[in-house]
Amino acid sequence: MLSIKQNLLETIQGGNPDRFVKQYEFLDIIMETPMELALCPGPGTEIVNSWGVTVRWPKGQIGSFPVHDAEHIVLKDITEWRKYVKAPSVDYPEERWTAAIEHVNSVDRNEKYVTTLVAPGVFELTHYLMSMEEGLMAFYEEPEAMHELIDYITDWEIRYAKQVIDHLHPDALFHHDDWGSQISSFISPATFEEFLLPAYKKIYGFYKANGVELIIHHSDSYAANLVPFMIEMGIDIWQGVMSTNNVPELIKKYGKQITFWGDIDSGKIDTPDWSQEVIAQNVEHACRECGKLYFIPGASQGLNISSFPGVYEAIDVEIDNMTKKMF
Amino acid sequence: MSKIEEVKALVEAGKSKKIAAAVQEALDAGDKAQDILDAMVASMSVVGDKFSAGEIFVPEMLIAAKSMSKGVEVLKPVMAGDTSNSLGTCIMGTVAGDLHDIGKNLVVMMLESAGFDMVDLGVDVAAEKFVQAVKDNDNVVLVACSGLLTTTMPALKEAVQTVKAAFPDMKVIVGGAPVTPEYAAEIGADGYAPDAGSAAVKAKELVA
Repeated sequence: MLSIKQNLLETIQGGNPDRFVKQYEFLDIIMETPMELALCPGPGTEIVNSWGVTVRWPKGQIGSFPVHDAEHIVLKDITEWRKYVKAPSVDYPEERWTAAIEHVNSVDRNEKYVTTLVAPGVFELTHYLMSMEEGLMAFYEEPEAMHELIDYITDWEIRYAKQVIDHLHPDALFHHDDWGSQISSFISPATFEEFLLPAYKKIYGFYKANGVELIIHHSDSYAANLVPFMIEMGIDIWQGVMSTNNVPELIKKYGKQITFWGDIDSGKIDTPDWSQEVIAQNVEHACRECGKLYFIPGASQGLNISSFPGVYEAIDVEIDNMTKKMF
Repeated sequence: MSKIEEVKALVEAGKSKKIAAAVQEALDAGDKAQDILDAMVASMSVVGDKFSAGEIFVPEMLIAAKSMSKGVEVLKPVMAGDTSNSLGTCIMGTVAGDLHDIGKNLVVMMLESAGFDMVDLGVDVAAEKFVQAVKDNDNVVLVACSGLLTTTMPALKEAVQTVKAAFPDMKVIVGGAPVTPEYAAEIGADGYAPDAGSAAVKAKELVA
Protein backbone atom coordinates (compact mmCIF):
# COMPACT_ATOMS: atom_id res chain seq x y z
CA MET A 1 0.00 0.00 0.00
CA LEU A 2 1.32 3.39 -0.96
CA SER A 3 1.82 6.06 1.69
CA ILE A 4 -0.57 9.00 1.66
CA LYS A 5 2.05 11.14 -0.03
CA GLN A 6 3.06 8.50 -2.56
CA ASN A 7 -0.58 7.92 -3.46
CA LEU A 8 -1.10 11.64 -4.00
CA LEU A 9 1.96 11.84 -6.24
CA GLU A 10 0.89 8.81 -8.27
CA THR A 11 -2.51 10.48 -8.74
CA ILE A 12 -1.27 13.87 -9.85
CA GLN A 13 1.60 12.51 -11.95
CA GLY A 14 -0.56 10.06 -13.85
CA GLY A 15 1.03 6.95 -12.31
CA ASN A 16 -0.53 4.08 -10.44
CA PRO A 17 -2.36 5.20 -7.31
CA ASP A 18 -3.81 2.35 -5.27
CA ARG A 19 -6.82 4.32 -4.00
CA PHE A 20 -8.59 7.66 -4.32
CA VAL A 21 -6.93 10.52 -2.46
CA LYS A 22 -9.22 11.28 0.44
CA GLN A 23 -9.82 15.04 0.48
CA TYR A 24 -7.32 16.88 2.72
CA GLU A 25 -5.56 13.75 4.03
CA PHE A 26 -2.21 14.70 2.44
CA LEU A 27 -2.08 18.21 3.89
CA ASP A 28 -1.11 19.12 7.41
CA ILE A 29 -2.11 22.77 7.47
CA ILE A 30 -0.16 24.77 10.01
CA MET A 31 -3.00 26.91 11.34
CA GLU A 32 -0.79 28.30 14.12
CA THR A 33 1.19 30.29 11.54
CA PRO A 34 0.90 34.02 12.20
CA MET A 35 -1.87 34.99 9.83
CA GLU A 36 -3.15 38.50 10.21
CA LEU A 37 -5.38 37.89 7.25
CA ALA A 38 -7.63 35.83 9.46
CA LEU A 39 -9.88 33.68 7.35
CA CYS A 40 -13.00 34.69 9.17
CA PRO A 41 -14.40 35.42 12.59
CA GLY A 42 -16.40 32.84 14.51
CA PRO A 43 -20.14 32.53 13.93
CA GLY A 44 -22.02 35.51 15.32
CA THR A 45 -18.90 37.67 15.71
CA GLU A 46 -16.78 40.05 13.68
CA ILE A 47 -13.09 40.88 13.38
CA VAL A 48 -11.08 43.67 11.83
CA ASN A 49 -8.15 42.17 9.95
CA SER A 50 -4.79 43.85 9.76
CA TRP A 51 -5.68 45.54 6.44
CA GLY A 52 -8.50 47.22 8.33
CA VAL A 53 -11.26 45.17 6.73
CA THR A 54 -14.19 44.36 9.00
CA VAL A 55 -15.28 40.78 8.43
CA ARG A 56 -18.56 39.75 9.97
CA TRP A 57 -20.17 36.34 10.42
CA PRO A 58 -23.86 37.05 11.06
CA LYS A 59 -25.75 34.61 13.26
CA GLY A 60 -27.47 31.83 11.37
CA GLN A 61 -25.27 32.18 8.27
CA ILE A 62 -22.80 29.59 6.99
CA GLY A 63 -19.99 32.01 6.30
CA SER A 64 -18.55 35.48 6.83
CA PHE A 65 -18.74 38.63 4.74
CA PRO A 66 -16.56 41.73 4.52
CA VAL A 67 -18.58 44.78 5.59
CA HIS A 68 -18.76 47.61 3.07
CA ASP A 69 -21.12 50.21 4.45
CA ALA A 70 -19.92 53.81 4.54
CA GLU A 71 -18.68 53.43 8.10
CA HIS A 72 -16.58 50.31 7.47
CA ILE A 73 -15.33 50.36 3.87
CA VAL A 74 -11.54 50.74 3.78
CA LEU A 75 -10.83 51.90 0.24
CA LYS A 76 -13.14 54.78 -0.59
CA ASP A 77 -11.53 55.82 -3.87
CA ILE A 78 -9.31 53.54 -5.94
CA THR A 79 -7.47 56.51 -7.45
CA GLU A 80 -6.33 57.40 -3.95
CA TRP A 81 -5.57 53.88 -2.79
CA ARG A 82 -2.23 54.92 -1.25
CA LYS A 83 -4.12 57.15 1.15
CA TYR A 84 -6.39 54.35 2.36
CA VAL A 85 -4.51 51.06 2.03
CA LYS A 86 -1.67 50.22 4.40
CA ALA A 87 -0.17 46.75 4.26
CA PRO A 88 0.43 45.20 7.67
CA SER A 89 3.90 44.37 8.89
CA VAL A 90 5.16 40.84 8.27
CA ASP A 91 7.78 41.06 11.01
CA TYR A 92 6.24 39.06 13.81
CA PRO A 93 7.98 38.60 17.14
CA GLU A 94 9.76 35.23 17.25
CA GLU A 95 7.41 33.91 19.93
CA ARG A 96 4.52 34.21 17.46
CA TRP A 97 6.18 31.42 15.46
CA THR A 98 6.76 29.01 18.35
CA ALA A 99 3.50 27.05 18.15
CA ALA A 100 3.72 26.82 14.37
CA ILE A 101 7.29 25.51 14.50
CA GLU A 102 6.31 22.92 17.10
CA HIS A 103 3.48 21.77 14.85
CA VAL A 104 5.81 21.57 11.85
CA ASN A 105 8.29 19.47 13.84
CA SER A 106 5.56 16.99 14.70
CA VAL A 107 4.65 16.27 11.07
CA ASP A 108 5.93 13.13 9.35
CA ARG A 109 6.96 14.69 6.06
CA ASN A 110 7.10 11.27 4.42
CA GLU A 111 3.35 10.98 4.90
CA LYS A 112 2.06 14.51 4.70
CA TYR A 113 2.90 17.91 3.29
CA VAL A 114 3.65 20.65 5.80
CA THR A 115 1.26 23.22 4.42
CA THR A 116 0.91 26.94 4.80
CA LEU A 117 -2.38 28.68 4.18
CA VAL A 118 -2.96 32.09 2.61
CA ALA A 119 -6.42 33.66 2.52
CA PRO A 120 -7.88 35.81 1.19
CA GLY A 121 -5.96 36.03 -2.07
CA VAL A 122 -4.95 38.99 -4.19
CA PHE A 123 -8.22 39.38 -6.07
CA GLU A 124 -10.27 38.77 -2.93
CA LEU A 125 -8.32 41.38 -1.03
CA THR A 126 -9.05 44.02 -3.68
CA HIS A 127 -12.78 43.53 -3.24
CA TYR A 128 -12.53 43.06 0.53
CA LEU A 129 -11.04 46.54 0.58
CA MET A 130 -13.54 48.32 -1.67
CA SER A 131 -16.57 46.02 -2.31
CA MET A 132 -17.09 43.61 -5.15
CA GLU A 133 -18.86 46.03 -7.48
CA GLU A 134 -16.29 48.80 -7.10
CA GLY A 135 -13.44 46.32 -7.30
CA LEU A 136 -14.70 44.80 -10.53
CA MET A 137 -15.37 48.15 -12.16
CA ALA A 138 -11.93 49.42 -11.18
CA PHE A 139 -10.28 46.90 -13.55
CA TYR A 140 -11.89 48.81 -16.41
CA GLU A 141 -12.29 52.33 -15.14
CA GLU A 142 -9.00 52.81 -13.29
CA PRO A 143 -6.65 50.15 -14.65
CA GLU A 144 -3.48 52.00 -13.69
CA ALA A 145 -4.48 52.34 -10.06
CA MET A 146 -5.64 48.74 -10.04
CA HIS A 147 -2.26 47.58 -11.36
CA GLU A 148 -0.53 49.58 -8.64
CA LEU A 149 -2.78 48.17 -5.90
CA ILE A 150 -2.27 44.61 -7.11
CA ASP A 151 1.51 45.14 -7.25
CA TYR A 152 1.37 46.46 -3.69
CA ILE A 153 -0.59 43.43 -2.43
CA THR A 154 1.70 41.09 -4.36
CA ASP A 155 4.82 42.62 -2.82
CA TRP A 156 3.28 42.20 0.61
CA GLU A 157 2.40 38.56 -0.12
CA ILE A 158 5.98 37.83 -1.15
CA ARG A 159 7.38 39.48 1.97
CA TYR A 160 4.97 37.39 4.03
CA ALA A 161 5.94 34.25 2.09
CA LYS A 162 9.59 34.89 2.88
CA GLN A 163 8.84 34.93 6.60
CA VAL A 164 6.81 31.73 6.39
CA ILE A 165 9.47 29.95 4.35
CA ASP A 166 12.29 31.08 6.64
CA HIS A 167 10.48 29.89 9.75
CA LEU A 168 8.54 26.81 8.63
CA HIS A 169 10.06 25.51 5.37
CA PRO A 170 6.64 24.35 4.13
CA ASP A 171 6.29 21.66 1.47
CA ALA A 172 2.97 22.91 0.17
CA LEU A 173 1.00 26.11 -0.15
CA PHE A 174 -2.79 26.17 0.11
CA HIS A 175 -3.82 29.50 -1.32
CA HIS A 176 -7.36 30.84 -1.50
CA ASP A 177 -8.65 33.26 -4.11
CA ASP A 178 -12.16 32.82 -5.50
CA TRP A 179 -12.12 33.80 -9.13
CA GLY A 180 -15.69 33.18 -10.14
CA SER A 181 -19.33 32.68 -9.41
CA GLN A 182 -20.85 29.25 -9.77
CA ILE A 183 -21.38 29.78 -13.49
CA SER A 184 -18.73 32.20 -14.74
CA SER A 185 -15.38 33.76 -13.92
CA PHE A 186 -15.74 37.19 -12.34
CA ILE A 187 -13.45 38.80 -14.88
CA SER A 188 -12.68 37.94 -18.48
CA PRO A 189 -9.68 35.77 -19.32
CA ALA A 190 -8.03 38.80 -20.96
CA THR A 191 -8.42 40.91 -17.82
CA PHE A 192 -7.22 38.02 -15.69
CA GLU A 193 -4.17 37.63 -17.91
CA GLU A 194 -3.35 41.31 -17.65
CA PHE A 195 -3.83 41.80 -13.91
CA LEU A 196 -3.75 38.56 -11.93
CA LEU A 197 -1.54 36.23 -13.95
CA PRO A 198 1.61 38.36 -13.46
CA ALA A 199 0.87 38.71 -9.74
CA TYR A 200 0.47 34.99 -9.21
CA LYS A 201 3.45 34.09 -11.37
CA LYS A 202 5.51 36.14 -8.94
CA ILE A 203 3.89 34.74 -5.79
CA TYR A 204 3.78 31.08 -6.76
CA GLY A 205 7.15 31.37 -8.46
CA PHE A 206 8.63 32.64 -5.21
CA TYR A 207 7.24 29.76 -3.18
CA LYS A 208 8.46 27.20 -5.73
CA ALA A 209 11.90 28.79 -5.96
CA ASN A 210 12.16 28.46 -2.20
CA GLY A 211 11.44 24.79 -1.71
CA VAL A 212 7.65 24.58 -1.84
CA GLU A 213 6.87 21.53 -3.96
CA LEU A 214 3.13 21.74 -4.25
CA ILE A 215 0.88 24.70 -5.00
CA ILE A 216 -2.80 24.12 -4.31
CA HIS A 217 -5.15 26.92 -5.28
CA HIS A 218 -8.68 27.14 -3.89
CA SER A 219 -11.45 28.68 -5.96
CA ASP A 220 -14.84 27.08 -5.38
CA SER A 221 -16.33 28.45 -8.52
CA TYR A 222 -16.46 28.21 -12.23
CA ALA A 223 -13.02 29.02 -13.63
CA ALA A 224 -12.59 26.54 -16.50
CA ASN A 225 -11.72 29.45 -18.80
CA LEU A 226 -8.76 30.32 -16.54
CA VAL A 227 -7.13 26.88 -16.41
CA PRO A 228 -4.37 27.70 -18.95
CA PHE A 229 -3.35 30.61 -16.69
CA MET A 230 -3.47 28.37 -13.61
CA ILE A 231 -0.99 26.09 -15.32
CA GLU A 232 1.20 28.99 -16.40
CA MET A 233 1.36 30.43 -12.86
CA GLY A 234 2.44 27.09 -11.43
CA ILE A 235 -0.68 25.67 -9.77
CA ASP A 236 -0.38 21.91 -9.28
CA ILE A 237 -3.87 21.30 -7.94
CA TRP A 238 -7.04 23.37 -8.35
CA GLN A 239 -9.09 22.70 -5.24
CA GLY A 240 -12.80 23.51 -5.13
CA VAL A 241 -13.49 22.94 -8.81
CA MET A 242 -17.28 22.90 -9.07
CA SER A 243 -19.27 20.53 -11.23
CA THR A 244 -20.31 23.47 -13.44
CA ASN A 245 -16.79 23.37 -14.93
CA ASN A 246 -17.29 20.01 -16.67
CA VAL A 247 -14.43 18.45 -14.73
CA PRO A 248 -14.14 15.25 -16.83
CA GLU A 249 -13.56 17.42 -19.88
CA LEU A 250 -10.95 19.52 -18.04
CA ILE A 251 -9.12 16.37 -16.93
CA LYS A 252 -9.05 15.11 -20.50
CA LYS A 253 -7.73 18.41 -21.78
CA TYR A 254 -5.32 19.52 -19.03
CA GLY A 255 -4.89 16.57 -16.65
CA LYS A 256 -1.23 16.02 -17.40
CA GLN A 257 -0.48 19.60 -16.36
CA ILE A 258 -2.82 20.19 -13.42
CA THR A 259 -4.94 18.09 -11.07
CA PHE A 260 -8.57 18.87 -10.30
CA TRP A 261 -9.89 18.47 -6.75
CA GLY A 262 -13.62 18.67 -6.21
CA ASP A 263 -16.57 17.96 -8.56
CA ILE A 264 -18.75 17.58 -5.47
CA ASP A 265 -20.51 20.90 -4.84
CA SER A 266 -20.77 21.69 -1.15
CA GLY A 267 -24.07 23.45 -1.75
CA LYS A 268 -25.66 20.20 -2.89
CA ILE A 269 -24.48 17.95 -0.09
CA ASP A 270 -23.52 20.10 2.89
CA THR A 271 -27.01 21.06 4.02
CA PRO A 272 -28.83 20.95 7.36
CA ASP A 273 -30.78 17.87 6.20
CA TRP A 274 -27.78 16.12 4.59
CA SER A 275 -27.95 12.39 4.04
CA GLN A 276 -25.39 9.66 3.51
CA GLU A 277 -27.35 8.53 0.48
CA VAL A 278 -27.14 11.87 -1.33
CA ILE A 279 -23.45 12.14 -0.50
CA ALA A 280 -22.89 8.60 -1.80
CA GLN A 281 -24.61 9.47 -5.08
CA ASN A 282 -22.56 12.64 -5.53
CA VAL A 283 -19.24 10.99 -4.66
CA GLU A 284 -19.93 8.02 -6.92
CA HIS A 285 -20.92 10.27 -9.81
CA ALA A 286 -17.75 12.35 -9.41
CA CYS A 287 -15.43 9.35 -9.14
CA ARG A 288 -16.95 7.47 -12.07
CA GLU A 289 -17.03 10.53 -14.34
CA CYS A 290 -13.60 11.90 -13.45
CA GLY A 291 -11.62 8.70 -12.99
CA LYS A 292 -8.53 7.77 -11.01
CA LEU A 293 -5.89 10.11 -12.36
CA TYR A 294 -5.44 13.88 -12.09
CA PHE A 295 -8.53 13.94 -9.90
CA ILE A 296 -9.18 14.15 -6.17
CA PRO A 297 -12.79 13.68 -5.11
CA GLY A 298 -13.90 16.16 -2.49
CA ALA A 299 -16.36 18.85 -1.50
CA SER A 300 -15.70 22.32 -2.88
CA GLN A 301 -15.32 23.69 0.68
CA GLY A 302 -11.98 25.45 1.12
CA LEU A 303 -10.80 23.67 4.27
CA ASN A 304 -11.05 20.24 5.90
CA ILE A 305 -14.37 21.10 7.48
CA SER A 306 -18.04 21.15 6.59
CA SER A 307 -20.78 23.64 7.36
CA PHE A 308 -22.92 20.95 8.99
CA PRO A 309 -21.49 18.38 11.41
CA GLY A 310 -20.69 14.96 9.98
CA VAL A 311 -20.67 15.87 6.29
CA TYR A 312 -16.88 15.95 5.85
CA GLU A 313 -16.49 12.52 7.48
CA ALA A 314 -19.42 11.11 5.47
CA ILE A 315 -17.65 12.13 2.25
CA ASP A 316 -14.52 10.29 3.38
CA VAL A 317 -16.59 7.14 3.98
CA GLU A 318 -18.00 7.32 0.47
CA ILE A 319 -14.59 7.93 -1.07
CA ASP A 320 -13.40 4.74 0.66
CA ASN A 321 -16.41 2.95 -0.79
CA MET A 322 -15.52 4.16 -4.27
CA THR A 323 -11.95 3.00 -3.78
CA LYS A 324 -13.30 -0.49 -3.04
CA LYS A 325 -15.45 -0.37 -6.18
CA MET A 326 -12.94 1.12 -8.61
CA PHE A 327 -9.44 0.02 -7.50
CA MET B 1 -21.43 58.50 -36.18
CA SER B 2 -24.54 60.39 -35.08
CA LYS B 3 -24.70 61.71 -31.52
CA ILE B 4 -27.29 59.14 -30.58
CA GLU B 5 -25.20 56.32 -31.95
CA GLU B 6 -22.30 57.66 -29.96
CA VAL B 7 -24.39 57.49 -26.79
CA LYS B 8 -25.36 53.93 -27.64
CA ALA B 9 -21.75 52.91 -28.16
CA LEU B 10 -20.61 54.59 -24.95
CA VAL B 11 -23.22 52.73 -22.86
CA GLU B 12 -22.30 49.42 -24.45
CA ALA B 13 -18.60 50.06 -23.81
CA GLY B 14 -19.30 51.28 -20.28
CA LYS B 15 -17.68 54.69 -20.65
CA SER B 16 -19.33 56.30 -17.66
CA LYS B 17 -17.01 59.30 -17.60
CA LYS B 18 -17.95 60.34 -21.14
CA ILE B 19 -21.64 59.55 -21.23
CA ALA B 20 -23.07 62.67 -19.60
CA ALA B 21 -21.40 64.97 -22.10
CA ALA B 22 -22.44 62.75 -25.01
CA VAL B 23 -26.09 62.71 -23.89
CA GLN B 24 -26.05 66.49 -23.50
CA GLU B 25 -24.52 66.86 -26.97
CA ALA B 26 -27.23 64.63 -28.42
CA LEU B 27 -29.91 66.77 -26.77
CA ASP B 28 -28.19 69.93 -28.02
CA ALA B 29 -28.06 68.46 -31.51
CA GLY B 30 -31.84 68.11 -31.42
CA ASP B 31 -32.25 64.44 -30.60
CA LYS B 32 -35.36 63.74 -28.54
CA ALA B 33 -34.84 62.61 -24.97
CA GLN B 34 -37.11 59.64 -25.60
CA ASP B 35 -35.00 58.52 -28.55
CA ILE B 36 -31.82 58.83 -26.52
CA LEU B 37 -33.35 56.81 -23.71
CA ASP B 38 -34.54 54.15 -26.16
CA ALA B 39 -31.03 53.94 -27.59
CA MET B 40 -29.56 53.39 -24.15
CA VAL B 41 -32.19 50.75 -23.30
CA ALA B 42 -31.33 48.99 -26.56
CA SER B 43 -27.63 49.08 -25.63
CA MET B 44 -28.31 47.50 -22.28
CA SER B 45 -30.35 44.83 -23.99
CA VAL B 46 -27.30 44.01 -26.13
CA VAL B 47 -25.13 43.99 -22.99
CA GLY B 48 -27.58 41.61 -21.27
CA ASP B 49 -27.60 39.25 -24.24
CA LYS B 50 -23.80 39.24 -24.43
CA PHE B 51 -23.59 38.47 -20.71
CA SER B 52 -26.08 35.62 -21.04
CA ALA B 53 -24.03 34.26 -23.93
CA GLY B 54 -20.82 34.42 -21.89
CA GLU B 55 -19.25 36.97 -24.24
CA ILE B 56 -18.83 39.58 -21.53
CA PHE B 57 -18.39 39.36 -17.77
CA VAL B 58 -19.79 40.98 -14.64
CA PRO B 59 -17.55 44.11 -14.70
CA GLU B 60 -18.53 44.96 -18.29
CA MET B 61 -22.17 44.72 -17.28
CA LEU B 62 -21.58 46.86 -14.20
CA ILE B 63 -19.84 49.65 -16.09
CA ALA B 64 -22.49 49.62 -18.82
CA ALA B 65 -25.25 49.94 -16.21
CA LYS B 66 -23.33 52.70 -14.46
CA SER B 67 -22.99 54.55 -17.79
CA MET B 68 -26.67 54.25 -18.53
CA SER B 69 -27.51 55.51 -15.08
CA LYS B 70 -25.31 58.58 -15.58
CA GLY B 71 -26.89 59.18 -18.99
CA VAL B 72 -30.37 58.95 -17.50
CA GLU B 73 -29.40 61.58 -14.91
CA VAL B 74 -28.91 64.06 -17.78
CA LEU B 75 -32.26 63.11 -19.31
CA LYS B 76 -34.26 63.27 -16.09
CA PRO B 77 -34.84 67.05 -15.96
CA VAL B 78 -35.89 66.99 -19.62
CA MET B 79 -38.29 64.09 -19.13
CA ALA B 80 -39.58 65.10 -15.68
CA GLY B 81 -43.15 63.99 -15.12
CA ASP B 82 -43.19 61.74 -18.17
CA THR B 83 -44.01 58.28 -16.83
CA SER B 84 -44.93 56.77 -20.17
CA ASN B 85 -41.53 55.06 -20.38
CA SER B 86 -41.90 53.10 -17.17
CA LEU B 87 -42.71 49.43 -17.40
CA GLY B 88 -44.01 49.70 -13.84
CA THR B 89 -42.53 49.14 -10.42
CA CYS B 90 -40.58 46.03 -9.52
CA ILE B 91 -39.96 45.02 -5.91
CA MET B 92 -36.73 43.07 -5.53
CA GLY B 93 -34.82 41.45 -2.69
CA THR B 94 -32.69 38.53 -1.59
CA VAL B 95 -34.82 36.22 0.54
CA ALA B 96 -34.72 35.71 4.31
CA GLY B 97 -31.55 34.18 5.72
CA ASP B 98 -29.51 34.98 2.62
CA LEU B 99 -27.07 37.90 2.60
CA HIS B 100 -25.80 37.62 -0.95
CA ASP B 101 -26.35 40.80 -2.90
CA ILE B 102 -24.09 40.89 -5.95
CA GLY B 103 -26.38 38.88 -8.23
CA LYS B 104 -29.40 40.74 -6.90
CA ASN B 105 -27.71 44.10 -7.51
CA LEU B 106 -26.92 43.11 -11.09
CA VAL B 107 -30.55 42.20 -11.71
CA VAL B 108 -31.68 45.51 -10.18
CA MET B 109 -29.39 47.37 -12.58
CA MET B 110 -30.51 45.40 -15.61
CA LEU B 111 -34.21 45.74 -14.82
CA GLU B 112 -33.80 49.43 -14.15
CA SER B 113 -32.01 49.78 -17.49
CA ALA B 114 -34.86 47.92 -19.15
CA GLY B 115 -37.35 50.49 -17.87
CA PHE B 116 -38.62 49.26 -14.51
CA ASP B 117 -38.80 51.53 -11.46
CA MET B 118 -36.91 49.44 -8.98
CA VAL B 119 -37.53 49.19 -5.25
CA ASP B 120 -34.55 47.32 -3.81
CA LEU B 121 -35.37 45.81 -0.42
CA GLY B 122 -31.80 44.59 0.06
CA VAL B 123 -30.84 41.23 1.51
CA ASP B 124 -32.34 38.91 4.15
CA VAL B 125 -35.85 40.04 3.24
CA ALA B 126 -38.69 38.33 5.08
CA ALA B 127 -41.63 37.14 2.96
CA GLU B 128 -44.01 39.62 4.60
CA LYS B 129 -41.70 42.48 3.68
CA PHE B 130 -42.18 41.75 -0.03
CA VAL B 131 -45.95 41.90 0.53
CA GLN B 132 -45.69 45.14 2.48
CA ALA B 133 -43.58 46.69 -0.28
CA VAL B 134 -46.21 45.82 -2.87
CA LYS B 135 -48.78 47.61 -0.70
CA ASP B 136 -46.54 50.61 -0.05
CA ASN B 137 -45.55 51.36 -3.64
CA ASP B 138 -47.49 52.50 -6.68
CA ASN B 139 -47.95 50.57 -9.86
CA VAL B 140 -46.16 47.41 -8.73
CA VAL B 141 -46.23 44.93 -11.60
CA LEU B 142 -43.50 42.50 -10.62
CA VAL B 143 -41.81 40.98 -7.57
CA ALA B 144 -38.30 39.54 -8.02
CA CYS B 145 -36.82 37.22 -5.39
CA SER B 146 -33.22 36.10 -5.34
CA GLY B 147 -31.53 33.30 -3.39
CA LEU B 148 -27.98 32.01 -3.67
CA LEU B 149 -27.85 29.33 -1.03
CA THR B 150 -29.30 25.84 -1.16
CA THR B 151 -30.17 26.37 2.49
CA THR B 152 -32.36 29.38 1.72
CA MET B 153 -34.43 27.73 -0.99
CA PRO B 154 -37.29 27.14 1.50
CA ALA B 155 -37.27 30.91 2.17
CA LEU B 156 -37.53 31.52 -1.57
CA LYS B 157 -40.56 29.26 -1.70
CA GLU B 158 -42.10 31.04 1.27
CA ALA B 159 -41.53 34.45 -0.31
CA VAL B 160 -43.18 33.45 -3.58
CA GLN B 161 -46.13 31.78 -1.89
CA THR B 162 -46.70 34.62 0.57
CA VAL B 163 -46.74 37.18 -2.25
CA LYS B 164 -49.04 35.01 -4.32
CA ALA B 165 -51.40 34.46 -1.37
CA ALA B 166 -51.70 38.22 -0.85
CA PHE B 167 -51.72 39.20 -4.54
CA PRO B 168 -52.75 36.22 -6.68
CA ASP B 169 -52.32 38.15 -9.93
CA MET B 170 -48.90 39.59 -9.12
CA LYS B 171 -46.13 38.32 -11.36
CA VAL B 172 -43.19 36.85 -9.48
CA ILE B 173 -39.78 36.07 -10.96
CA VAL B 174 -37.04 34.12 -9.16
CA GLY B 175 -33.37 33.43 -9.70
CA GLY B 176 -30.07 32.51 -8.07
CA ALA B 177 -27.48 29.78 -8.49
CA PRO B 178 -29.40 26.82 -6.99
CA VAL B 179 -32.71 27.75 -8.65
CA THR B 180 -33.83 25.75 -11.67
CA PRO B 181 -36.78 26.37 -14.00
CA GLU B 182 -38.39 23.25 -12.52
CA TYR B 183 -38.00 24.51 -8.97
CA ALA B 184 -39.35 27.92 -9.95
CA ALA B 185 -42.46 26.31 -11.41
CA GLU B 186 -42.83 24.00 -8.42
CA ILE B 187 -42.94 26.89 -5.95
CA GLY B 188 -45.42 28.84 -8.04
CA ALA B 189 -43.19 31.53 -9.58
CA ASP B 190 -44.24 32.91 -12.94
CA GLY B 191 -40.75 33.23 -14.29
CA TYR B 192 -37.16 32.16 -13.81
CA ALA B 193 -33.93 33.56 -15.17
CA PRO B 194 -30.45 32.03 -14.92
CA ASP B 195 -28.61 35.37 -15.04
CA ALA B 196 -29.12 39.14 -14.94
CA GLY B 197 -29.26 39.57 -18.71
CA SER B 198 -32.01 36.98 -19.10
CA ALA B 199 -33.81 38.39 -16.06
CA ALA B 200 -34.43 41.66 -17.90
CA VAL B 201 -35.75 39.81 -20.95
CA LYS B 202 -37.99 37.56 -18.85
CA ALA B 203 -39.27 40.43 -16.70
CA LYS B 204 -40.35 42.42 -19.76
CA GLU B 205 -42.06 39.33 -21.12
CA LEU B 206 -43.97 38.79 -17.87
CA VAL B 207 -45.40 42.30 -17.72
CA ALA B 208 -46.08 42.71 -21.46
